[in-house]
Amino acid sequence: MQASRARLFKEYKEVQREKVADPDIQLVCDDTNIFKWTALIKGPSETPYEGGVFQLAFAVPEPYPLQPPQVRFLTKIFHPNVHFKTGEICLDILKNAWSPAWTLQSVCRAIIALMAHPEPDSPLNCDSGNLLRSGDVRGFNSMARMYTRLAAMPKKG
Amino acid sequence: MDSEEDMLDAHDMESGEDDFYSGGTDDCNDSDDGEPDYGFVEEDADDSAMIASHRSQKNFCVLREEDIRRHQMDDIERVSVVLSITEVEASILLRHFHWSVGRVHDEWFADEERVRKTVGILESPVVPPSDDSELTCGICFDSYPPEKIPSVSCGHPFCTTCWTGYITTTINDGPGCLMLRCPDPSCLAAVGHDMVDKLASEEKEKYNRYFLRSYIEDNRKMKWCPAPGCDYAIDFVAGSGSYDVSCLCSFSFCWNCTEEAHRPVDCSTVSKWILKNSAESENMNWILANSKPCPRCKRPIEKNQGCMHMTCTPPCKYEFCWLCLGAWMDHGERTGGFYACNRYEVAKQEGQYDETERRREMAKNSLERYTHYYERWASNQTSRQKAMADLQQAQTQNLEKLSDKQCTPESQLKFILEAWLQIIECRRVLKWTYAYGYYLPDHEHAKRQFFEYLQGEAESGLERLHQCVEKDLAQFLNAEGPSKDFNDFRTKLAGLTSVTKNYFENLVKALENGLADVDSHAACSSKSTSSKSTACSSKTRGKGKGSSRTGGSSRNPDDNL
Repeated sequence: MQASRARLFKEYKEVQREKVADPDIQLVCDDTNIFKWTALIKGPSETPYEGGVFQLAFAVPEPYPLQPPQVRFLTKIFHPNVHFKTGEICLDILKNAWSPAWTLQSVCRAIIALMAHPEPDSPLNCDSGNLLRSGDVRGFNSMARMYTRLAAMPKKG
Repeated sequence: MDSEEDMLDAHDMESGEDDFYSGGTDDCNDSDDGEPDYGFVEEDADDSAMIASHRSQKNFCVLREEDIRRHQMDDIERVSVVLSITEVEASILLRHFHWSVGRVHDEWFADEERVRKTVGILESPVVPPSDDSELTCGICFDSYPPEKIPSVSCGHPFCTTCWTGYITTTINDGPGCLMLRCPDPSCLAAVGHDMVDKLASEEKEKYNRYFLRSYIEDNRKMKWCPAPGCDYAIDFVAGSGSYDVSCLCSFSFCWNCTEEAHRPVDCSTVSKWILKNSAESENMNWILANSKPCPRCKRPIEKNQGCMHMTCTPPCKYEFCWLCLGAWMDHGERTGGFYACNRYEVAKQEGQYDETERRREMAKNSLERYTHYYERWASNQTSRQKAMADLQQAQTQNLEKLSDKQCTPESQLKFILEAWLQIIECRRVLKWTYAYGYYLPDHEHAKRQFFEYLQGEAESGLERLHQCVEKDLAQFLNAEGPSKDFNDFRTKLAGLTSVTKNYFENLVKALENGLADVDSHAACSSKSTSSKSTACSSKTRGKGKGSSRTGGSSRNPDDNL
């Protein structure tokens, strides 16, 4: 308990210091609970997620960093490795390939990388994966862009 | 101890393998050039000579825990000396190559650099040692003096507390901890048992257990004795005829499927039968309905979330498709995408998957037929256990008493123990004939009839023997003094034992042959019991493997009988 709290506090201070350094990631700790975090990440450029801002929810378990945090998308996103309804993310480093040397910040970076490079071979959103597998990149891009506009961009007007 | 060894010896005699397998010359040739990468098989046999001395002709030997440790240490030492690496590195290397010394040598001398990289034994650190007075731990981000920062071959800095936490968590996650790597995600350096010894506390014991278990479980020629509570392992020389092995704990089992010894029934029938026996239980129903066995390690897997891309838990780590259970590697465009697996769809259309479903349905409906066979299977099992207890009693009490009463040295009373051992073996065979009978197709009338006849004869022959050793013996036990009928009893019992032994041996052979020569057996079955068994035995022996080869052609006329 003490170790995870100390480590999270270190990460917190690091985030405060680096805020300006990484404009794509904005990690915020819950006001009352250091084990709950949210993050706002920018959709990577040259992807259908460009221009969108996606919200992630982190639930950090007590044995952290020996066990990975649980992360899910709060913003709806059309992506092969993200569950369309629950926002659950299929990413190896969040499951069996976790290492205590990862941080919440680096998890965000990994998720941004996953957005830019989907893994349609192990899909959690089959429709999305199917489009990519069948080579319909245009179809995939337009679906993903539509959901980015609907869910991840501030409403105009 | 004596008693156990006697029992094993008797098992050797009963199964009569030498006799039987010397006939199958094809087999012998196969066994000579099979499994070339086990170069150290002979040496192993030497090591445990003390245990295996009296059955050096066997194709297996039993290892106690201290033998296993010694073998493991010997292997590690040998690799460490030959490759001039530390023993910790040698054990990492051996574990990676499934404890095959031969393979370690081959791979290492073929390409040392590649092996070092894949296994994670680095020659020089990735992070150069620094002169800083303080280093930052990569996990808790605190700063420590260098002596508080232990590291493995890569040199990545982590503090003692974080190392301990990391190692402890992994050990508690299961045997995957034997493949522990540096916590740095990009680093492949292996963490050996020196770190565990230094840093873990009570988990150390667990790690050592996994380490020992790995020597048996990851080794293709070793298996644990599956008897409950037995800690012995069996070292098996592959390719040598029979799969039946017997452990020092007196449990005999099949090396191939690790179920108890089940000649004359083959492994797949046994597994079907055992699955069936537990199919009525709720547990099994649930497992059947909700899980699939991992195609490689056969552990049942429940899929409760995620995609069709399955990865079995370490150490198996097999990747497969949940729908068709095929290797994930084989999936791609060709199979029509990953989550609408074509192979599965095609197989479903062809009825292959429905077939499985239907078979499950039918099995449930034929409950009555099954109960018939199961009851007989189970009652033979019970009789067998009773016989084992009786043997125990004979050894501990009755034999001594009888020796006094009849003024006969105990060494001359061995025929009684032999009779009991024969009964135990026969009960085992008889038990499995009921599983055999259950799976014998209904439409093969001639075979079924003949089988039931053989089984009936076996039952009554065994009853006669059982009766003799149980009832007749009692009167000599309770006699006042030496009885002159005792010699007759000896002759009778020894005779019955040998007749029953022959009969069951032939029964086993006939069933293993799939009752291929129904008509020739039918001819000799009309003769009297004793002459029949000799006639049959000469016949089967003469034909040997040949009969199974021609089995296909001779089957058709049989059906018409």
